[in-house]
Amino acid sequence: MTLALALSLFLAQDAEKIQDLQAKLHAVVEKVSPAYVFFGNGSGVCISPDGYALTNFHVSGDRQGQRVRMPGGRQFLADIVGFDPLGDISLCKLRDAKDLPFCELGDSDALEMGQHVIAVGNPFLLGNGSWEPTITFGIVSALHRYMDNPGYFDAIQTDAQINPGNSGGPLITMDGKVVGINGRIDIRRFMNRVNTGIGYAIPSRQIQRYMEAFKRGGRVFEGFIEGIEIGECGDARYDNVGEYGDGVFVARVDAGLPGGKAGFEPGDIIFEVEGYRISNANRFHGVVSNWPEGATVRLKVRRKAEEKELKVFLGDPAKILERKRAMDATDLGFTVNAKMVVGPVAPGSAGAKADLKPGDVLMRVDGRRVGSWTEFRACLRPGAEMTLTVARDGKDLELPLKVPRPKTDE
Amino acid sequence: MNLLLAYLLLAAGETSFLAPAEGDDPLAATLAKLRQAAGKSVVAIEVERDSDPDGITGSGAVAQHRDYYNRPKGPTSGVVYEAGGFILTSRFNVSGGIRKNGLKVTLWDGRQVAGELLGTDEQRDIALVKIAETELPVLPRADYAKLRPGTLVALLGRSPDPGQATVNLGILSAMNRMNRMSVQTDAEMNYGNAGGPLVTLSGELIGVACNIKPEAVWGQSGGVGFACKTAEIDGLLERLKKGERIEAPKQPYLGIRPGEGNPDVEGIQIADVMKDSPAEKAGIKKEDVLVELAGVMLTDFESLKEALESHKIGDEVILKVMRKAKDGWQEKSFTLKLEGKAEQ
Repeated sequence: MTLALALSLFLAQDAEKIQDLQAKLHAVVEKVSPAYVFFGNGSGVCISPDGYALTNFHVSGDRQGQRVRMPGGRQFLADIVGFDPLGDISLCKLRDAKDLPFCELGDSDALEMGQHVIAVGNPFLLGNGSWEPTITFGIVSALHRYMDNPGYFDAIQTDAQINPGNSGGPLITMDGKVVGINGRIDIRRFMNRVNTGIGYAIPSRQIQRYMEAFKRGGRVFEGFIEGIEIGECGDARYDNVGEYGDGVFVARVDAGLPGGKAGFEPGDIIFEVEGYRISNANRFHGVVSNWPEGATVRLKVRRKAEEKELKVFLGDPAKILERKRAMDATDLGFTVNAKMVVGPVAPGSAGAKADLKPGDVLMRVDGRRVGSWTEFRACLRPGAEMTLTVARDGKDLELPLKVPRPKTDE
Repeated sequence: MNLLLAYLLLAAGETSFLAPAEGDDPLAATLAKLRQAAGKSVVAIEVERDSDPDGITGSGAVAQHRDYYNRPKGPTSGVVYEAGGFILTSRFNVSGGIRKNGLKVTLWDGRQVAGELLGTDEQRDIALVKIAETELPVLPRADYAKLRPGTLVALLGRSPDPGQATVNLGILSAMNRMNRMSVQTDAEMNYGNAGGPLVTLSGELIGVACNIKPEAVWGQSGGVGFACKTAEIDGLLERLKKGERIEAPKQPYLGIRPGEGNPDVEGIQIADVMKDSPAEKAGIKKEDVLVELAGVMLTDFESLKEALESHKIGDEVILKVMRKAKDGWQEKSFTLKLEGKAEQ
C-alpha cells in the first residue's frame, strides 16, 4: 500500500515534469519555426524584422538575388551582404522585407553540456513544396570543438539530428534564441550522408563579433595574431615552457608586426584571451578566431613570475590595406592615386568595360562627389549600374560602370 | 537526442517502474509505463523468402556495404490495428517472394502464429497482415488536432526477444510529409522498428513507421523517420482487407540528387546522378548545374519539380546544363526522354 502510494506520487511528479518539457517544446517550436528560411538546398534563419538572415557560406555562396522561401512558401530574393568562407557563415539580406518573424541571437557562452536544444532545418529537402521545416530535438553534447577546413574552430556539438539540408539552419535553446548555425556532421556510413548523432554548429557569440564586419559587406577574414610564433606548452624540445594545458608559449616575436608592437616576448605563456582560458594551441586558435581581422583583443601572459595584460590588433594593417587594394583592383580593374587619377586599367575588367582610361580623374559617382578611394568604394553598390563622372582632356565625361559582385577568392 | 533516446528497458515487471527513479530522469518512468501498456499491441514479424529484390541494393560500391544497406535477418515490427487479427506493418517488411507458410507473427506474450499477407500500398509503404486471433489489444487513436511539431512521441518496436518492446523517444518533426500521408519524427527508426507504432507518451496511435528501405536517402537512425497517418490507413483499410496490391502512381523523373552547395550560376547543382536513370542516359554528369528544362528556367529543386509536373512520362525534353570547363562555365544541351518512377 505504502509502496503503491509512493509510486503514484512519483508518477504524478513525473507527469508534471514531462508536461513542463512538452509545453516548453511546443512554445519554442511555435516561436522559432516562422523565422526559418528555406535557402536553396540548405537552411537559414531570419534574425531581424527587416530581413537580415544567417546561413552557411557553403549554402549561400556569394551569388546575389537567390530565391529563398519562408515557412508557408512566401518568397524573397536574398542578397549576400558579408561572408566568411573559412568560418562558413554568410549574412544575407532579404530584399523588400519588413516586419518578418525573426529569432534573436542568444549567448552561446552560457551553454552547458546536456542542456536541451532544437534544430530547425530542411533535411533531404523534405519540406520543399509544403514549406514546413523539420524540427529535431536533442542536447548540447560538447562545447569548443575544433576542426579546420572549413574552420569550425569553436563549434557546439549536438545530438539533435542534423542532416544534409539542415546546413545554415539555427540551433536553438529552449528559450527560443539562436545559439548556433548548424553546418557540419560526422558521417560513418559509406556513400550515405546521414547523421550519426554528431552535428556541429558555429556559436552565436562568434557570429555576433563578426556582425559589424559582415554588415560592412564583402569578405570577412578570421582574426590572427601576426608577428608571433607559438608552441604548445610542455613541448619537450624547449626549456621553461610549462606543462601541457598551461596555455601556449611564444617562441618568436617579429618586432615590426602587431604581435611585436603589442609587447610579446619570447617565452611568454599566453593563458587567457578576452577572459577565455587557453589550454592548448587549438583552443588558442579557436578563441582568437572568434574575432574577425581588424579587432583588438586583450590577452594575459605569464612572464617568469609575473602576469601581464597585453592588447593586440588582429591581422596586419599593412597587409589588410594591400589586400584590399589588390581585391579592388581585381574586382574593378583599376585604382586611383591620392589625386584621384586612374592608374592602369585591366583589359576586360569592369573599368575597361566602362571605357575608363589611365589618366582620367575620377570626380563623381551617380552625381556624388568623391574625394578618396575609400569614399569612392563606399558609394558602390554591388551589381548596380552606376555613372562615373571623370575629367578627361579638360572635359567631363559620364561613363556607365557595372559594379561587380563581391568575389569569394582573393 | 541519444541521452533520452533509445530506452531499451530490459527489466520487466515492477522493477522497471522503480529502476528509472535512481537515474533521476522524469521521462524514464513514463516510458516504462508506456512500454508495458502499449507494448502489448506491438508484434514481431518474421518472413521467410524465396526471393528478395527489394531487400538488396544495387550493384557497384554500395553493394559492398551490405551490412548497412541490405535487409538484415531477424524480426521486424508490426502493430495490432483491429482486434480481430488485423496487423499493420510497413510494406517493405513483407515485400519479396514469401515462402508458403513463411510469414510468422509473434505476439507480446510470446505466442507465435501464422500470418497471411492481405493488401499492400506501395506509395504509403504499408501492408495488412491477418492472423487467426480475436480480442487483441488495440491502441487508442491520437487526436490529430492536438498534435503539432514538437510533440513528444515514442516509436515502439520488437527487440530480438519478441516479448520485449523497444522504445525510442523523439518529437514530431513535421506534420505533413510524403504528400501529406505521413508525419515525420526524429525518434530513431531502423529496419527493426519500422512497421511499429508511433505513439504519444500516453500511448495513443499516431501512425505506423514506414519508408525505411535500402534506397531511402535518409538512411536508418539518422533522425529522419516517417509514420503513415492513421487517417490514411483507415481510408484504404477495406481495400487492403480485400487483398488489393495498390501500386504507387508513377511520376516523370530525372534521376539526380541536388547538392547542398551553391554554384556561381543560378540553377540546380547535381551532387549525384542515379545509375540507369534518364539523366545518366542523356549524358548528364555529377557537378553539372541544371539551368533549363523544356524552356523553363530552373532556380531551385522546387522549380524542377514544378517543371516536371507539366510533362508526361515518355515526353522528350531539352535540358540545358552548365558544365565546368577550363575557362569557366559552358552551356550544354541534352535531349532526355522522361521515364516514370513511383513516388517514395
